[in-house]
Amino acid sequence: MSDDEFLRVSDVSKWYGEEKVLEEVSFEMDRGDVTVLIGPSGSGKSTMLRCVNRLAEAQEGSILLDGEEVLSPDLDVDELRREVGMVFQGFNLFAHLTAVGNVALGPRRVLGLSETAARERAEAQLERVGLGEQFDSYPAELSGGQQQRVGIARALAMEPKLMLFDEPTSALDPELIGEVLEVMHGLVDEGMTMLVVTHEMSFAREVADEIVFLDDGRVVERGPPEQLFDHPEEERTGRFLERIASHD
Amino acid sequence: MASATRPATVRERVADSDRSVGRLLLVAAGALFWGWLVVSWVNRWLGGVLVPVGQPLVPAGAVEATLAAIPGLAAYASDAAFVVELTPELARGTWLTVVITAVSLAVGFVLAVPLAVARVYGRFSAWVSLGYTELLRGTPLLAQLFVLYYGLNLASYVPGALSGVFARDVVWVAILGFTLNGAAYQAEYIRGALESVEEGQITAGRAIGLSKLETIYYVVLPQGLRYAIPSWTNEFVYLIKYSSLAGFITVPELYYRADQIASETFRYTLIFVVTGVTYLALVLTASKLMERVEDRVAIPGIGSGSEE
Repeated sequence: MSDDEFLRVSDVSKWYGEEKVLEEVSFEMDRGDVTVLIGPSGSGKSTMLRCVNRLAEAQEGSILLDGEEVLSPDLDVDELRREVGMVFQGFNLFAHLTAVGNVALGPRRVLGLSETAARERAEAQLERVGLGEQFDSYPAELSGGQQQRVGIARALAMEPKLMLFDEPTSALDPELIGEVLEVMHGLVDEGMTMLVVTHEMSFAREVADEIVFLDDGRVVERGPPEQLFDHPEEERTGRFLERIASHD
Repeated sequence: MASATRPATVRERVADSDRSVGRLLLVAAGALFWGWLVVSWVNRWLGGVLVPVGQPLVPAGAVEATLAAIPGLAAYASDAAFVVELTPELARGTWLTVVITAVSLAVGFVLAVPLAVARVYGRFSAWVSLGYTELLRGTPLLAQLFVLYYGLNLASYVPGALSGVFARDVVWVAILGFTLNGAAYQAEYIRGALESVEEGQITAGRAIGLSKLETIYYVVLPQGLRYAIPSWTNEFVYLIKYSSLAGFITVPELYYRADQIASETFRYTLIFVVTGVTYLALVLTASKLMERVEDRVAIPGIGSGSEE
């Protein structure tokens, strides 16, 4: 265990009724690390991600974030979510607010910034994701790629110490994926700690410090991308990667 | 795509292409109707500065004489004069109809929003809200008014601050009745609209650290209330008309006055046609007003602002 350890997920299990969706999942991340969760649909990747900011409740195990137990019943979840940004597959932008309104809502209402300060912060974040021209556009007026970049800016505006990405490009047309990945690349370069669920294997290979392969709610294999992609130890990992590759 | 101008609603496009005579006539009729009402009310409040209180704004005799002189209209001269004679009473009644509707609707809305929120997002409170809504929607409004007025005799308990605002305190009982009943109906409309707000909106609100209530207030309601406008307008229109039930607990609103005059003069058809037209004018005003509101608050992608 390194001194820089930032997130430690230990033996996390979760059931939906009778069905076990996560089974003793464990992995660790250092500050500034990028960890990518891969696996077939229904393998529990998104659920695992949501357990970290308690949008889903794990029933067993432990998640230590910066030394604090996330699964503690005494934890203030709103406080936790202030520090953990999340980007959704379906963008989930606030439909009634402009791009600036979407990004400013958290700083204004959660962090308590003044109207002006919140707007300034929102504009700065939108510039950061390359949307300086779209401040006053409503979500319905933006392309999918633009909407997702607003979604990223909205999470960044809270100045999170960890960013969760839940299949951020899965709902996008192929030609719009690049602009979102580019923004995510930028965050990696800035040293943001990121936990990413994605099917973009080339992106994972480029930026990930560790890949965690989940199947049936279990960690089948994990390791650095070169090892996991090129020399998978488990047969299941190999089969999954072949299937993904044949789709590309 | 991102554009400086918002997409026009279908209604706007139709309105732009339809600067027709019909539209102008409607606007003119509306101006005449509301002009007559407002001048009548102001005249009464100021103690008869224009014409003595109780007198029509235009002398009935003059109208009769004018029409009698026009061939073809002469047959209607005496009926027209009769209607003109009625107008001061109708204007007085309409005032109460308008006030009762407006106050009940506004206060009912303030009650309906938390009722709807409780129903959709509450646990125990959802049952309370459901019980209230079903009780108030499931029993006749007239029976509710009778319970408040005859049963509980609330007219004699009107608080000092409110007592005397209207000539008769029973007006407050009617407002209370319509508020409580309307809140139940409004809550149903708003509930439906809240349920149509996507789940992902709430997830996103919670994910940035807003509490459940904050998410409802800042994210769900601004969208849900926009969705609710068209069906909520129905409630507005209904309330204008069923405010006439106040007549049954002796509130001298439009229907009550019309009924009184009719039973004295036996000219039921003429009087209730005129009364009906007055209600129609109020209803048309309400729906036009709500169309305006809907366009004003329209946002691309939500409700009528949507291109789909």
